[in-house]
Amino acid sequence: METASQTASRTIDFKAAARELLPPGASYDACLSCGLCSAGCPASGLEGMDPRRFIRMAMLDMNEELSTTAWIWTCTQCQRCKYICPMSIDVSVLVGLARGAWPSEKKPRGIVRSCEAQLRFPGTSAMGLQEEDFVEAVEEGVTAVRRQSDRFARLEAPIDKQGAYFFVNQNSREPATEPEEMGPLWKIFEYVGADWTYSSKGWAAENFCMFTGDDEAWRRMVEQRVDAVNHLGCKVWLNTECGHSFYTLWKGVERFGLKADFEAGSLVSYYARWIREGRLPVNAEWNTQGIKFTVQDPCQLVRKSLGDTMADDLRFVARTLVGEANFIDMAPSRSANYCCGGGGGFLQAGMKELRWAYGKRKFDQIATTQADYVLTPCHNCHSQIEDLGQHFQGHYRVVHLWTLICLSLGILGADERKYLGPDLARLGL
Amino acid sequence: MRATRHGGVLETEALIIGGGATGTGVMRDLALRGIHCILIDRRDLNAGASGGNHGLLHSGARYAVGDPDTAAECRREGDILKAVAPECIDACGGLFVAVEGDDPEYAERFSEHCRTAGIECTTVTPAEARELEPCLSEKVFAAYRVPDATVDPFRITLENVNHAQQLTQSLFLAHTELERFVVDDGTVRSAICRDTRTGETITIRARQVVNAAGAWAMRVARLAGCSGVELLYSKGTLIISNARIGRRVINRLRRPGDGDILVPGGTVSLLGTTSETVQSLDDVHPTVAEVDRLVAEGVAMVPQIAHTRFIRAFSGVRPLLMAAGADADGRKASRGFSLFDHESDGLANFATVAGGKLTTFRLMAEKTGDLVARRLGNSEPCKTASTPLPSADAIRWTEPGFAPRYWAARREPGDLIVCECEMVPASAIDSIVENAPGADSQMSLNAIAVRSRVGKGTCQGAFCSLRLTSHLYDRQVYDSPAGLRHTRDFVAQRFKGVAPVAWGEHLPQLELAEALHCGLLGLDHLAEDT
Repeated sequence: METASQTASRTIDFKAAARELLPPGASYDACLSCGLCSAGCPASGLEGMDPRRFIRMAMLDMNEELSTTAWIWTCTQCQRCKYICPMSIDVSVLVGLARGAWPSEKKPRGIVRSCEAQLRFPGTSAMGLQEEDFVEAVEEGVTAVRRQSDRFARLEAPIDKQGAYFFVNQNSREPATEPEEMGPLWKIFEYVGADWTYSSKGWAAENFCMFTGDDEAWRRMVEQRVDAVNHLGCKVWLNTECGHSFYTLWKGVERFGLKADFEAGSLVSYYARWIREGRLPVNAEWNTQGIKFTVQDPCQLVRKSLGDTMADDLRFVARTLVGEANFIDMAPSRSANYCCGGGGGFLQAGMKELRWAYGKRKFDQIATTQADYVLTPCHNCHSQIEDLGQHFQGHYRVVHLWTLICLSLGILGADERKYLGPDLARLGL
Repeated sequence: MRATRHGGVLETEALIIGGGATGTGVMRDLALRGIHCILIDRRDLNAGASGGNHGLLHSGARYAVGDPDTAAECRREGDILKAVAPECIDACGGLFVAVEGDDPEYAERFSEHCRTAGIECTTVTPAEARELEPCLSEKVFAAYRVPDATVDPFRITLENVNHAQQLTQSLFLAHTELERFVVDDGTVRSAICRDTRTGETITIRARQVVNAAGAWAMRVARLAGCSGVELLYSKGTLIISNARIGRRVINRLRRPGDGDILVPGGTVSLLGTTSETVQSLDDVHPTVAEVDRLVAEGVAMVPQIAHTRFIRAFSGVRPLLMAAGADADGRKASRGFSLFDHESDGLANFATVAGGKLTTFRLMAEKTGDLVARRLGNSEPCKTASTPLPSADAIRWTEPGFAPRYWAARREPGDLIVCECEMVPASAIDSIVENAPGADSQMSLNAIAVRSRVGKGTCQGAFCSLRLTSHLYDRQVYDSPAGLRHTRDFVAQRFKGVAPVAWGEHLPQLELAEALHCGLLGLDHLAEDT
């Protein structure tokens, strides 16, 4: 691990590291220099770099340049390059290594601070939310939902319920800044009769430690969360509408050889399952205005973790919710979709101009669909796509799936419509 | 003196035939004495052995046991080149290693022979050797450090020509083939040449004619009616790895044989060399059998060679002097050189310089220069041993790793990278097309490749051929479908070298190149007259 006194990046032998870290036949030696990676990389051109150039520079022994280029903080490690590469070469692995070799004080402060915050309290919140703050926010939220209608008078949001089937995590953003966004999810659980619990430890659904390139911190983070789930004896660790929090745990368990007595599940797959099973009887009848929707495929959830199965579930949910005719896919889509530029810690890194330049490709993709709304089952995608819309003056809004599910079921409260436009502000109330 | 051209006739003081290290070395040597020269080559610079070698600047150690004179000569010349052309040289050092199965006695005698030849040689333990070069086999039992270095043979010829052009406005004419000499009264009056691209006849009148045609020197001498130049053609094949292996030159400590030397070439490494006597200079190309032999032998020194990606093979022909009564074994023939004044052939203004090595080219040029200058009545001494070789913008691009460093230092977003593998920017291409020695209208991709790293990286021209072609059309260097024929010729040339190493990780590269060049562009069905 690096020390505080380290001021220069440690110079890595990238060629040797690639041979060690990448599978035979998919290492930098196998590069055909075809440039498919660069053509499909929204970070191409930033800082004069692109994935192919990264590989070539490694092969040309330009280790100092690679150890110091700020490009590694604009690469979101989304693995679009690996996906499209005819040889399946993964550039993101060495980007992670390079990130780790930067001295802590030179890394983007926002990412480092978020990781430090996560390591500070047992809740693992990147926003520094402590156990009692979280519990309080949940309790207040439950009270508010119970007051909304008789239908939810006995709604529960259990914490530390031993033996619950689902261990549900929670992105810190909601309890910290928009607690009313938690209600729709709880209503869905109540609707399908899920046996679930939050935990006071390891509850947070964000993991910036991976993005600092500090493997040890990533491992500690995953360990704490795995311990928390094991401790409550839950069968499924159910990841909320979030990408990287899924990937970091799912991949982390394998990478660090941790013992997990549970399955990792994504909320989106469960939405799909509950709809298919008839437990979540949503439909598109509410969409009489023909409002158009598209979906973002979170890289960490789709391409990097569960693949097109996940993308298909996502589309099934979206199409059912908005109507076949009102769903417009992006091009390219599913595992080939582009990263929005919110991942990899980019949103927290403070490099706005670069982040917008990266996100322009996503903005153009969305603009081409002419959709009124973008569904984003990921918090970083949500924030970035919303910010891109403001920056490039787009005409779309960004919503979570839980909002539309509750809207379709007629159970979306008046104060749970923060991300809906005037067209849907009063619908079904 | 300026070369004057009246109706296809050029005049000069000295005509030099052969654009290799020796010919360009003679050109510069003479220019430093104030003599105007015209250098011609039927193809281009470095088209023969000067381009088909491993770029080793011998410490001499390799010849210490069998050829001590050549060894000592290499040592002296190596030191001179390191002083006058440091930018062309990587003084990386070398190791000689014996592995299990090699003759321990040969290994033991080695350091003594080096001492005799005046070559610095330090014994290192096998463990120290592996620390210096972790890629070495665990079966190394003896090792020595020697001051081997590498030299960029392309850059040094470009610098020679460039300097001569500056000094006396000497001329280099590429694709100019000698057809015959006009000899009269014991004097070569003129050389009748043909521009192989246009078919145009060019007559060159020169007071002195130097035959520095390398492997073709015997043919050229015969055109002048001289039969005393007897050469043995020894074909050597080398293979190039995708990335550099090891820091130093690694030599096998045994009698020279196949696959016993691994030479770094900046960002890559070259494994050589085979030796096979051939009768003809036509159609010399690397074969799969040679590549197999190189790999099989190389593995003994450096085991990772077994799974190294090699991207290209190439062959050169060593023009070895056949001494009277010598057998026809290329390995045993002398690496020394000879200067023929051809006075016994009844010619007063014709000379042939033949044999020798890349490392000793300057000395060969010096001896030749002395003879030519004396014949011209010029009393200026040779200055090449002490005058640094000047560089220039247009001749910096052959060094592996230079372009990427240049790019990284500048970060000029508008300067598009044309060859991504070697990171050659458009500005480099533009400067070559404008100013490099041999630059001419409709300059071919092959000619640009000789003057840069274009096409020498992983893709072996698969992509850069197309990008470069487009760039040349954009710049209006090409303005007709003839440009595409240059593309085809370039990829065909690369293919010859790629085919014998097409296995493992490199095979998909070849398939992709074929799909692009044949499937997509139909370069294999290009009409000749389009």
